[in-house]
Amino acid sequence: MDAFMAFLTVFTQPELLLLVGLGTFAGVYVGAIPGLSVTMAVSILISFTFSWDVLPAISLMIGIYMGGVYGGSRTAILLNIPGAPSAIATAMDGYPMAQRGEAGEAIGTTTVMSFFGGLVGIVVLALLAPVVSDFALTFQPRDYMLIAILGILLVGSLSSGSLVKGIFAGAFGIAIGAVGMDPLTFTERFTFDIPLMRGGINFIAVMIGMFGVSEALMQLHHVDTPAIRQKISRIVPSFGTIRKHLPLSLQTSTLGVLIGALPGTGGDIAALMAYDHAKRVTKKPSRPFGEGAIEGLVAPETANNAAVGGAFIPMMTLGIPGDAVTAIMIGALFIHGLNPGPMLMVEQPDMFWFVVGALVTANFFMLLFGLTGIKLFTRIVEMPRPVLIPLILLLSIVGAYAVNTSITDVYWMLGFGIVGYFMRHYGYPLGPVILGVILSRLLDDNWRRAIISEREDLGRFFHGIVTSPLSLTLLVAVILIFVSQTPLWTRFRKKETTAK
Amino acid sequence: MQDNVHHHDPARDGSSDATPGGMPDKRRPGELTFTVLLVVFSGALLWNAYGISGFEALSGAGSVPMATAAVMLVSALVVLWQTAKRARTEDETVMQDITPPLVIIFALFLVAYGILLRPLGFLPTSALFLIASIKLLSKRGWGFTLAVSLGSLILIYLVFRIVFTVLMPAGIVPEAEMLQLFRNLFSGGA
Repeated sequence: MDAFMAFLTVFTQPELLLLVGLGTFAGVYVGAIPGLSVTMAVSILISFTFSWDVLPAISLMIGIYMGGVYGGSRTAILLNIPGAPSAIATAMDGYPMAQRGEAGEAIGTTTVMSFFGGLVGIVVLALLAPVVSDFALTFQPRDYMLIAILGILLVGSLSSGSLVKGIFAGAFGIAIGAVGMDPLTFTERFTFDIPLMRGGINFIAVMIGMFGVSEALMQLHHVDTPAIRQKISRIVPSFGTIRKHLPLSLQTSTLGVLIGALPGTGGDIAALMAYDHAKRVTKKPSRPFGEGAIEGLVAPETANNAAVGGAFIPMMTLGIPGDAVTAIMIGALFIHGLNPGPMLMVEQPDMFWFVVGALVTANFFMLLFGLTGIKLFTRIVEMPRPVLIPLILLLSIVGAYAVNTSITDVYWMLGFGIVGYFMRHYGYPLGPVILGVILSRLLDDNWRRAIISEREDLGRFFHGIVTSPLSLTLLVAVILIFVSQTPLWTRFRKKETTAK
Repeated sequence: MQDNVHHHDPARDGSSDATPGGMPDKRRPGELTFTVLLVVFSGALLWNAYGISGFEALSGAGSVPMATAAVMLVSALVVLWQTAKRARTEDETVMQDITPPLVIIFALFLVAYGILLRPLGFLPTSALFLIASIKLLSKRGWGFTLAVSLGSLILIYLVFRIVFTVLMPAGIVPEAEMLQLFRNLFSGGA
């Protein structure tokens, strides 16, 4: 009953309901405006809400997250510019539909399908998280260490870029997280004898720099791209369309929630993999893929919203973020004195059920806002970049400063913004950096705990891994991910395919 | 100013982890220099990590930093080898595609903002920043620039200072006195 009451908290407190609604509304627009990503919005927002109570802060962030993942599809369909990375696949068939004058139908279908996918993700989260959490209580420190490594490696391997750049980015993040005083021995680490660095680097400054500043600087390349206006007709899709695509949407939602649940992988990767899945399983698409196939919209849109629920599973049960946004939310929970992980589920299950309730509410708000207010939407999205870019930069600065009222954080943020800008240009994924920063402490603490418990003996440590089914599975997964990305393996696979 | 920005394939600029940017078969301008810098940085980090606790214990304060820096160095060296092997792209230059003048100007604007924030205060620094950047980017008249910059600044100030109660440096503006004056006006009218 307690769980049920916690679930209903959002519905019974008008302030929270309003914040979820406001967040979702803002999220739809933030997601829709090219150059404003959800990760960026949430990372800037966290610095403004950290003085709030935890429930209102989380309500607002969940709304923005759910709305933002959906919102990107709007501009993908109307302008062929994915408003958010999770809508990259949506543009492939959504824009051709808009060119045929079917923008309304495309938007309506994506809205309903996003709602469906979101709901599947939340149901799986509600059913699976308590089980995973119970299981996680049996994890050894070495398992946490391996999960952290697995999470960082997965981002690199599932992204379309090079694994080695992903590994570099992840290790860079871990190094950033290690800066400051070692909490166990009070030894200085990576401080270069600079007193300012003893306090460590604020991870919010890193996030705002990497996602906010670098994105705004990137947008300077496209500053003179004019806004394109579109006419939109009927929006609510027919029941027949929805029913026809229900089997596919169920498959891609499941895929989405599973990918979302893998530590470090988010809606953008889920959407691309679902699109690929739809191409393989759909025998007779409504039109060829890439030319306006409705299946090409259904698959990524269900998957990216299902991934939202999925991303909360490792976050709530293991304290390991499912994607960049949940990484930021973990930060928010830390700031509010909560410690996400299996103990949170045991000691404060109310928090978990509150999150589930807020996600359900945000999903319904998303459906509501998605099917209405289209005229207002087109106006806001047409906001010119010459105004938008300076505002993003100003908000980033204010956000970084507000966390500790520290000018040093602003400098860190600017520095990481510039580094992130070059990393984007040269194909380094940014997600692993943030994951690395967040997981640095977990990795460090658990490695040291594990090796101390094995009396500093590496042989005993590896023996412990190979004799525990869970640790062994995790180690094999780490090795497989690594090996599957090496040129040797690629050559072997090529040979296999040619032989067949 | 934005005419200086060359239009290339947007897929080369990373937008997410699913599309991290770069070019798989060509070397972008400046990429080799960037990679060399990463190698040097990783080497320096490894040296520093060794200084934390050396090889004294596997559970020492420096073990994870050392392992991390070693991974960074090895992966940066692999990237360097891969980057050096690729032929340079011919349709891009550093000044057009990587750091066009607009990006450099904005980076300088941001540094100037950071330096001026404390002595001048939030309101004047932000006003200067917004006016300069919107004027530069939009190429519109002063009326538009001032209206949009100051209008957005007032909105941001009201939302973050009043609603979110974020404390920003007051600097030369007697902000507290102004807020008190408004409070007195409202309470006086009540």
